[in-house]
Amino acid sequence: MRTALVGTGLVLAALLAGCTDDPYPDPAAPVGPAEPGVLRVLAGSELTDMQPVLDEAAKATGIEVKFTFTGTLEGAEALANGEVDGKYDAVWFSSNRYPAGIPDAAKRLGNQVKIMSSPVVLGLSGASAKRLGWADKRVGWGEIADQAGRKAFSYGMTDPSSSNSGFSALVGVASALAGAGNAVDAGQIAAVTPQLKSFFSAQALSAGSSGWLSEAYQRRASGQDPGAQVDGLINYESVLLSMNAAGNLPEPLTVVYPSDGVVTADYPLTLLTDAGNDARDAHQRLTDHLRTPDVQRKIMETTHRRPVVPGVELDSRFTVRDLVELPFPAARDSVDALLSAYFNEIRRPSRTLYVLDTSGSMAGDRIASLRSALAGLTGADGSLTGRFRQFRSREEVTMLPFNTTPGTPRTFTLPEGDPQAGLAEIKAYAEGLREGGGTAIYDSLSRAYEVMEPLVAADPDRFTSIVLMTDGENANGSGLEEFQASFGSVPASLRQIPVFTVLFGEGSSAELGQVATMTGGKVFDARNAQLGEVFQEIRGYQ
Amino acid sequence: MKRRLSIGLAVVLLAAVVAVVVWSPSDDAQGGAQGELTTVRGVTGSEKLAFFSDQRVVDAFARHGLKVEVDTAGSRQIATSLDLGKYEFAFPASSPAAQRIQRDRKTTAAYTPFQSPMAVATFEPIVQLLQAAGVVTKGAGDYQVLDVAKYLELTKAGTRWDQLPGNTAYPARKNVLITTTNPGESNSAAMYLSIVSFVANGNTVVGTPEQEATVLPDVARLFRDQGYTQNSTEGPFEDYLAAGMGKTPLALIYESQYLDRVLRADGSIRQDMRLLYLAPTVYSKHTLVPLSDKGDQVGRLLSTDPELAKLAATFGFRTSDPRVFAEVVGDKAPTDLVDAVEPPSFETLERLLDAVAK
Repeated sequence: MRTALVGTGLVLAALLAGCTDDPYPDPAAPVGPAEPGVLRVLAGSELTDMQPVLDEAAKATGIEVKFTFTGTLEGAEALANGEVDGKYDAVWFSSNRYPAGIPDAAKRLGNQVKIMSSPVVLGLSGASAKRLGWADKRVGWGEIADQAGRKAFSYGMTDPSSSNSGFSALVGVASALAGAGNAVDAGQIAAVTPQLKSFFSAQALSAGSSGWLSEAYQRRASGQDPGAQVDGLINYESVLLSMNAAGNLPEPLTVVYPSDGVVTADYPLTLLTDAGNDARDAHQRLTDHLRTPDVQRKIMETTHRRPVVPGVELDSRFTVRDLVELPFPAARDSVDALLSAYFNEIRRPSRTLYVLDTSGSMAGDRIASLRSALAGLTGADGSLTGRFRQFRSREEVTMLPFNTTPGTPRTFTLPEGDPQAGLAEIKAYAEGLREGGGTAIYDSLSRAYEVMEPLVAADPDRFTSIVLMTDGENANGSGLEEFQASFGSVPASLRQIPVFTVLFGEGSSAELGQVATMTGGKVFDARNAQLGEVFQEIRGYQ
Repeated sequence: MKRRLSIGLAVVLLAAVVAVVVWSPSDDAQGGAQGELTTVRGVTGSEKLAFFSDQRVVDAFARHGLKVEVDTAGSRQIATSLDLGKYEFAFPASSPAAQRIQRDRKTTAAYTPFQSPMAVATFEPIVQLLQAAGVVTKGAGDYQVLDVAKYLELTKAGTRWDQLPGNTAYPARKNVLITTTNPGESNSAAMYLSIVSFVANGNTVVGTPEQEATVLPDVARLFRDQGYTQNSTEGPFEDYLAAGMGKTPLALIYESQYLDRVLRADGSIRQDMRLLYLAPTVYSKHTLVPLSDKGDQVGRLLSTDPELAKLAATFGFRTSDPRVFAEVVGDKAPTDLVDAVEPPSFETLERLLDAVAK
């Protein structure tokens, strides 16, 4: 059973060591024992934007919310396996639809009070919206999918197994394209798979979190990132409106509200059934306060989410008010069939290259962690999240171990259909990794680009990314400066590959941060977390 | 055969129930304004939360020395999965749920202080569309009804809104379906199932396993095709009020939820909003099962205190004495509803609920 929940990539010592005086509080760690006036809430990370509202609520009600952040599926899993029991008083995700389909999770959901809502919609750069003719005209998901299939536009979307916006978008598109007017089932998903493939062929960016996705879009739009510009984003209306309000996009996003319907997040602040009386009282008082018209208006103004109580008028930023809601499948097997089809058949296949430190300092627990982290991605982790984070059918995985010099790369291509034999090969390879020698980080990263070049040339239409994991400082070969100097001569098709760096052991946070920034990647901190969980989290970006 | 149950008859039945229980426990309604209030914690369907939270209701209980605190949960959840150990009364929205609690807790005590028929909250453009489709008609009483038999024909064919002839008002590519709650958890969905199974069974209360099997495909579709459903009736009604026609063109609710809003006159019931009664309909009989002496006192007060009865009527509930309801509601609702039927037996309803909740 997994004991830690990774939502933000920062699982620090408090969780593992149980110490409470950590100078850097861990956003993914539980917040201690129950106390009066405090509501301990396991929540989706997008709720950080509610802090100003909650600070005012604390003044008005005396109820303080202590958040611990996690992902949608991780949250459902924590409910189902009882990890939440006694640790939290409430959960607050964008929706309870997924846990409601899992009996062991559903039975822990108590009083559910909707606080605000936001539909998942398409945001397009103003120019793209005009070019497509969608700036002033309502279109349905069918036409959006047609144009996506013709590559008339590109978009970014979060990974449906890590983030609710991607999850809702996937369900919404599938329901709309199935066009049957009822909740989709496994049979309809199979029938609509060709259209879904066409729709997702235009997806140019994936992310494990909605926040990173917006930032990546903005950095690419403004030329800060080497990656190609993306025409739009599928995300919550609230995220798109917030990006426009922040004012750092070259041109604002036009929000496209599909005429055939949307899936809407309704943010139920949900008391757990085993919560104590103080928590019940706190939940009641807080939700009463949050649902007063003034606070609903404040939520709308600060977070761009829609009010859920009558009598609070939407302001002018919400250009389409009355939205058709698409039916959301209630049966977990329908949802799982859809997720499975998305990863293994529908989405563009991934190409992933792992640059792995196997220097002498990895001896002992560290090399063992690395082996099991990789094995965890081959199906060894049978958890709810693990199933959707493993290497997928059609994926191309290259391993490049290094020590004093780059090692021998090995590429595994998992077939369409049953990937079991390929997964077993990767697992055997991971278990055969041995440590020893020095640490040539940048020679090895440069080597990764050389290894990538023929692969990308042969098959450019893959989600391509590099993971660079190291437990120490660079000790051999070229340094960061030399790598930076040579980066300009890396072919453009390779320069836009994001590098996701993983800090492990004594890895240098400053240097790996620079590598992530210059390549449009992201740093993940595994110094005090399970390497396996960090590797799983990175899957959302691959 | 369809039974016509007028409010008058219902009152006679209810009065009998109340009379049996009122005198059994000892009268401990002391306390009062000067004394410390005794806290009584109960669990109720969400549709009664506003009532219990209302300051006038709080004051009325305080005059009897009580401070009533309630948690809300789906009525079937209250009856089946919730740990009732920490509560002094359970107040689900129907008699079958209450019967289940009585059986589990081995008690015969129960109070039915008020009731409410099932109805559909909708919008004028939807009413006109459904009128044209023959689903909404002038009923046997002096008010419009949604003809459940006609509605079942539409749903059986999987008709989408955009397939209704001449529909420009709401051309959604979505099945014509009443939005309900989760049949596995919530009473209003169980009441709805009582109605549709009655009609699907040739206007007869489902009473045999053969009849259950026969009606199941037609009634299960009404829930399955909706996909995810919320666990409490306040959910769809709030969506109806706040998000509007796009999200919830037809919301199954208790009449009381709508009347409560109308009587509050807070602007939440807008010009184009309509309440349709179902033909046939079922009365949801809000039944309080006491789990302790204090819980019993709450039930007794709700059934006997004139002030609480009047307050219940202001929240749209039909009171044991129909005159109280009529005085408060006036012409905003028909006094008598015709065409009401009875739910199936508790066991039958449970089996049907389990089957459709799958």
